[in-house]
Amino acid sequence: MKRLILSAVIAVVPLLAQAQDRVLPLGGAVTEIVYALGEEGRLVGRDSTATWPAAALQLPDVGYVRALSPEGVLSVTPDLIVMEQGAGPAEAIEALRGAGVKIVTVPDVYTPEGVAQKVRVVADALAVPEKGAALAQKIQTDIAEARARVAADTGRKPRVLFILANTGGRLMGSGTATAADAIITLAGGKNAVSGFTGYKTLSDEAITTAAPDIVLLMERGDGSVQADAILAHPAMMHTPAGEHGAVVQMPGLLLLGFGPRTAEAIDTLHKALAARQTQ
Amino acid sequence: MAATGPMRRAHRLPVAMVVTGLAILLLGVALASLSLGASGVLPWDGWRRMLTPAETAILYNIRLPRLILGGLVGAGLAVSGVLMQGLFRNPLADPALIGVSAGAGLGAVTAIVLGGLMPVTVQALAGMYMAPLFAFCGGGATTLILYRLASLRGHTSVTTMLLAGIVLGALANAIMGILIFIADDRQLRDLTFWGLGSLAGTNWAKLMAAAPILILGLAAAPFLARGLNALAMGEPAARHMGTPVETIKRGAIFAVAAMTGAAVAVSGGIGFVGIVAPHVLRLAIGPDHRALIPASALFGAALLITADTVARLIVAPAELPIGILMALIGAPVFLWLLLARRPGTGM
Amino acid sequence: MIRAQGLGAVLAGIDVLRAVDFHANPGQITVIVGPNGSGKTTLLRRLTGDLQGPGRVLLDDAPIGAMPPRRLALRRAVLQQATQVGFPFTLREVVRMGQEAGGQAPGIVAAAIAEVGLSAMIDRPFQDLSGGEQARGHLARVRAQIWNPVTSGGACWLFVDEPVAALDIGHQIQVMDLLRRFADAGGGVVAVMHDLNLTAMHADRMVLMAQGAVLATGTPAQVMTDGHLSAAYRAPIRINRAPDTGVWLLPQMAGDPIKGQN
Repeated sequence: MKRLILSAVIAVVPLLAQAQDRVLPLGGAVTEIVYALGEEGRLVGRDSTATWPAAALQLPDVGYVRALSPEGVLSVTPDLIVMEQGAGPAEAIEALRGAGVKIVTVPDVYTPEGVAQKVRVVADALAVPEKGAALAQKIQTDIAEARARVAADTGRKPRVLFILANTGGRLMGSGTATAADAIITLAGGKNAVSGFTGYKTLSDEAITTAAPDIVLLMERGDGSVQADAILAHPAMMHTPAGEHGAVVQMPGLLLLGFGPRTAEAIDTLHKALAARQTQ
Repeated sequence: MAATGPMRRAHRLPVAMVVTGLAILLLGVALASLSLGASGVLPWDGWRRMLTPAETAILYNIRLPRLILGGLVGAGLAVSGVLMQGLFRNPLADPALIGVSAGAGLGAVTAIVLGGLMPVTVQALAGMYMAPLFAFCGGGATTLILYRLASLRGHTSVTTMLLAGIVLGALANAIMGILIFIADDRQLRDLTFWGLGSLAGTNWAKLMAAAPILILGLAAAPFLARGLNALAMGEPAARHMGTPVETIKRGAIFAVAAMTGAAVAVSGGIGFVGIVAPHVLRLAIGPDHRALIPASALFGAALLITADTVARLIVAPAELPIGILMALIGAPVFLWLLLARRPGTGM
Repeated sequence: MIRAQGLGAVLAGIDVLRAVDFHANPGQITVIVGPNGSGKTTLLRRLTGDLQGPGRVLLDDAPIGAMPPRRLALRRAVLQQATQVGFPFTLREVVRMGQEAGGQAPGIVAAAIAEVGLSAMIDRPFQDLSGGEQARGHLARVRAQIWNPVTSGGACWLFVDEPVAALDIGHQIQVMDLLRRFADAGGGVVAVMHDLNLTAMHADRMVLMAQGAVLATGTPAQVMTDGHLSAAYRAPIRINRAPDTGVWLLPQMAGDPIKGQN
């Protein structure tokens, strides 16, 4: 019996040795998933968009995920990089591949199934597929419950305008096929803008036509100042949102990350929209 | 006859000493650049032990091509500055004045914003090099238009060149503005980083593409030295002394366009090298272009390599865009240059 | 010898030169004089090739328009009225440019600077020199380009536009003596000058211009008559008369300036 156990252990050890233990996640949601899987002990760094959980901030920061420096990334000596789609620049990723680092790309799809798929891909890359399956299952259950709560709300769907940035009076808002568009819909709202895809600068006429009931923003340090500036925008002032000062702010990674906290995001957003709507 | 004016000789350092010193500086800076980096691997580690694939990649595929390209770009931008200043007889003339940088920038912005709309064959051929390719084409197109505009009446007018450069630059910036306006969030961030300038994406492919053009421009420049000296006294006087003025002007403008276009294409927006390097050297060894051109090449190369090394270390493992560093150094020097101009010296 | 026929020039739509014939011999100083706007400098610019227009200019029977600039620079040098030096070159470096343009030996630089009396400033920034010193510095550059009045290719030429305008009387005499020596040794000098006295002292031939055409040519005695000068300058002019009162000074009567009074 002892011999059996010993040989089983000996057989397993090489398998364990193959699981990489120096992992660099690139992307906020990817980092969150690693923590959710309980595999954070293997992390050697993060990128600047990885702001959750707070413990992640202690890791070395290799810079903005779309402007990486190859040697900077290699200096934390990762043997596995798990990166969200869109990390770059392409030459840097090429250089990392050329340096012999294993790179796994995680697809970015803004649906509940997409979130589950992300979890599975990350878990497979980390060689913990069973944990991944379990986490994916749990997340999908949580999301389904959150959506049920949203569906139960029979109130009118508010028109929501997500503003990404305000640069000198030019508002950049979200059209369709974005994370913002998806989360708004999941949370029971309606994207006030529909004429284009992606995040684009909005003309005054587009804002007026959109006539949003609520403006959705990402939280930043100077939260209220930012919201006031946007509501004071001449085109915003004549929209229902502008007239009622209806603004909802949430942390960016929670709102748009489509990571493990998606269900929480749906709930929080739904409640916030409902609260603003009654005003 | 008693001498008038301030009682002083021109303060000059011996040229041979300065050029040798700069060459040594360049070698030292290059060695430092190869040895320093976020990862801490040293070139001579390979003699003592086996390097990991990552370390080999860092030394030979990341640091080494970056060092070489940084040197060539620095030399190219500095020499472009010298040629521009000689051509326009003004120490404040910058390669960006002739609009080539703006044209190259327009090419890059077009690739970044409209890249997805290009025919599939174009996308497949260009791959990840679409921005540098388009940037280089943009710079080349701008140069040709500029040259045709400035040579309309059979001889190349330097003043017309300057005005045409300003106009073309303004036009390029306007079109870039439209593209920026329709760009989405991700593209905007990519554009911002491109504009700040960086050598981070350097690999052997980019180096092999840009190096011949930069080397060609650097090799041609010394042949223009005597002509540019004579040109300092105006075109008629230069002509009287036998200088082939039209050839010199054409040669200078094409050399500047080639080097600036290639530099901007592979490294984005890096400014001030073309002003800082020549000006400092002019004070040290005088305005003779035969010494100024090689010295500026060495100094520009050393300057850019140093700035790039600092950029890689100062916020490691992240990286500062090199254009920012050059602006931080260059802007105060530029200011000092303006304030220190003595009236009536034409300096 | 310099020969030109039917030289014309149009500047800003105006006929500045009208079918002017010109010739100058080596070994002589030929001076072009005339009022402002008479076309003197334009004529000089046609002769040096700076301006294009009808008519040909021949240097020893070869059209200068067809000559490569490098070769032309070995036969003739041009001193403009004013030349700005765009960068802080030293006097030595400026003169050296002339020396290299003319393919001369390096030692010529110091000799040319000594000839105009500027040896003490040889390593000063050119821009630090006074106006008069800069004028002499440019003359040194021109001399460094054409040092030998006669070479194997033939006589060499100096074209000078107002060579003494910025100079005090002492240096004016010095410079005119320099040109005289050059011509006496076989070289050719074509000058544009305002100063009629200095012209009378040194010119072998004079060309008096008015309104884009030649009014008179010949020796100073032939050209400088009351009639010619009054017609050209449109003012009553009388030669060979001294005023009854007041102080007056003629360069003809100035002695050796370095030794002081004589």
